[in-house]
Amino acid sequence: MREFLRHARLAWYLGGIGLQRLMTYRADFALGAGAFLVRVGVQTAVVGVIFQFTPAVGGWTLHEMVFLLGFSLLPRSLDRLFTDQLWELGRRLVQQGEFYRYLIRPVNPLFALLSERFFHPDGFGELLVGAALVAWAGHHLDLELTPAQWLAAAVLVFLGALIHMSVKLLFASLSFWTVTSFPAMHAANQISEFAAYPLEILHPVMRAFTTWCLPFAFTAYVPCTYLLSGDAGLVVWTPVVTAAALAVSLTVWHRGLATYEMTGS
Amino acid sequence: MIVVENLVKEFRVPEREEGLSGSLRTLLTRRYRTVRAVDGVSFDIPAGSRTAYLGANGAGKSTTVKMLTGVMTPTSGHCLVNGLEPYRNRRRTARRIGVVFGQRSQLWWDLSVPDSFRILRRIHDIPDAVYQRNLRLFRELLDIDALATTAVRQLSLGQRMRAEIAASLLHDPEVLFWDEPTIGLDMVLQEAVRELVNRVNRELGTTVLLTSHDLADITSICDTALVVDHGRVIYQGRIDQLLSTAGQRCVIFEYRGGPSPEAVAAEVEHALPGTRVRLDGQRVRIDHPVGLLSSREVLSFLLERVDLTECYVPEPDLGTVLKELYTRNGHRGRAPGGAA
Repeated sequence: MREFLRHARLAWYLGGIGLQRLMTYRADFALGAGAFLVRVGVQTAVVGVIFQFTPAVGGWTLHEMVFLLGFSLLPRSLDRLFTDQLWELGRRLVQQGEFYRYLIRPVNPLFALLSERFFHPDGFGELLVGAALVAWAGHHLDLELTPAQWLAAAVLVFLGALIHMSVKLLFASLSFWTVTSFPAMHAANQISEFAAYPLEILHPVMRAFTTWCLPFAFTAYVPCTYLLSGDAGLVVWTPVVTAAALAVSLTVWHRGLATYEMTGS
Repeated sequence: MIVVENLVKEFRVPEREEGLSGSLRTLLTRRYRTVRAVDGVSFDIPAGSRTAYLGANGAGKSTTVKMLTGVMTPTSGHCLVNGLEPYRNRRRTARRIGVVFGQRSQLWWDLSVPDSFRILRRIHDIPDAVYQRNLRLFRELLDIDALATTAVRQLSLGQRMRAEIAASLLHDPEVLFWDEPTIGLDMVLQEAVRELVNRVNRELGTTVLLTSHDLADITSICDTALVVDHGRVIYQGRIDQLLSTAGQRCVIFEYRGGPSPEAVAAEVEHALPGTRVRLDGQRVRIDHPVGLLSSREVLSFLLERVDLTECYVPEPDLGTVLKELYTRNGHRGRAPGGAA
């Protein structure tokens, strides 16, 4: 418990450092947020164009699709704000022998790694855009959530962020064996993009894969089905799936730490 | 303080074949070769000592240091630092050790050095008094203020090295592991770093384990040497005693008037068998084997025969002694009872 509080205090402090860094590298911030807006803008436009031709896709209306798209950005943005340093692990930290520094600090190595870069600039744009899309679509859908559903929504966003983190951690940890695992991380990230769309439009194999293998369906599709229709069929599995994803990725991470070979002299 | 027992680290290295067909073959059937970087080494380093960890390239020095700092896990055997196995108790070990890997950085590359230090202070829970005292020390000896607001990635190698060295000492560690710490430092700063480490060793009793290719660093920081070859300890003991094992000594002198240098050379080689004389202008250098002659005998002979103006009897240099030590062990195989 004392260790937990210590880490929480450190996280607070290092979060401050992260924000301070945003101010120092303002161009980075603008570029990241700008590029992100363009991407989501295009994504939303595509959805809009599709609905020019058809009133519903896989049983989803335009507003429901936008709600799903917006919601999918929320856990993803949380994940991006706090765990983006994992990309560096997959890309170069093992390859260039720099990873050692997280092992010589008196904090949890995963915490040491993640806290080196809290508040990745792109995350803020993602969070704001996601919230705006959800609010806009929710308004048009006349969505009325009970307090319990609001709470559930918040928890589901948090669990979704943990799922994103687990998948990223799993593929980033492969670099302990393969030296760099950027291509694998990139592939997983591509698949995570499907979270923004209804499972109904995916091939059944892909549907099963994003539900039970890399469970991105639980980050947006499952929570949205629940919030929009009240269908609680799959959503109750979200905590279990999250726990399983975390367990697998943390196991691989710990194995990776034990096999870590610091290169060079 | 540091106990190492039968420590082994093996790496699996993929075997590659040459050419296009070879690389296609390795793609399908990858074969591995096991390389033993640390070969069952055992030693014991007492608290408060300043030990140079020496060995030819590939002796497994860095690999051993990486296990002692908890960065890598041994294949077999174990080591203890302050009673803890570092790779099993990383967090607790990290509080007690300071680490510099000369080729790598442990700082926050896009923050300034003072910002990095403030973070380290939080991470290590460094008491205010300790933090301020150490900053004063770094200001005095490393001129750390000159690095002020520059981001670490923009520092020169020498500047970064100063920051790395300071970072390793910030939390008053009980053990310092320095792997090639003075890369990129100029002479003045090398001197300051030596002063710094000798001061913390004297005042706080900090144990120091140093690996370096710079023999001047070794002789001025360390009092003890641990020499490892092919994973085995071939010498552990005081550096001055190691130096006294040199097989050759020399006397260098200049003189006034009298016979020509060639004549003196011929006379010395005749009268003192086993010596070798080299001439360098007016300067004469006599190398003599230790077993047959003492420096005293050579000197008294010279004092009688020539009018000396300058005379040097240098301490044998560590490089030569180490080379002798490696060859001796290379030829004889097993280590002599060199442990002190």
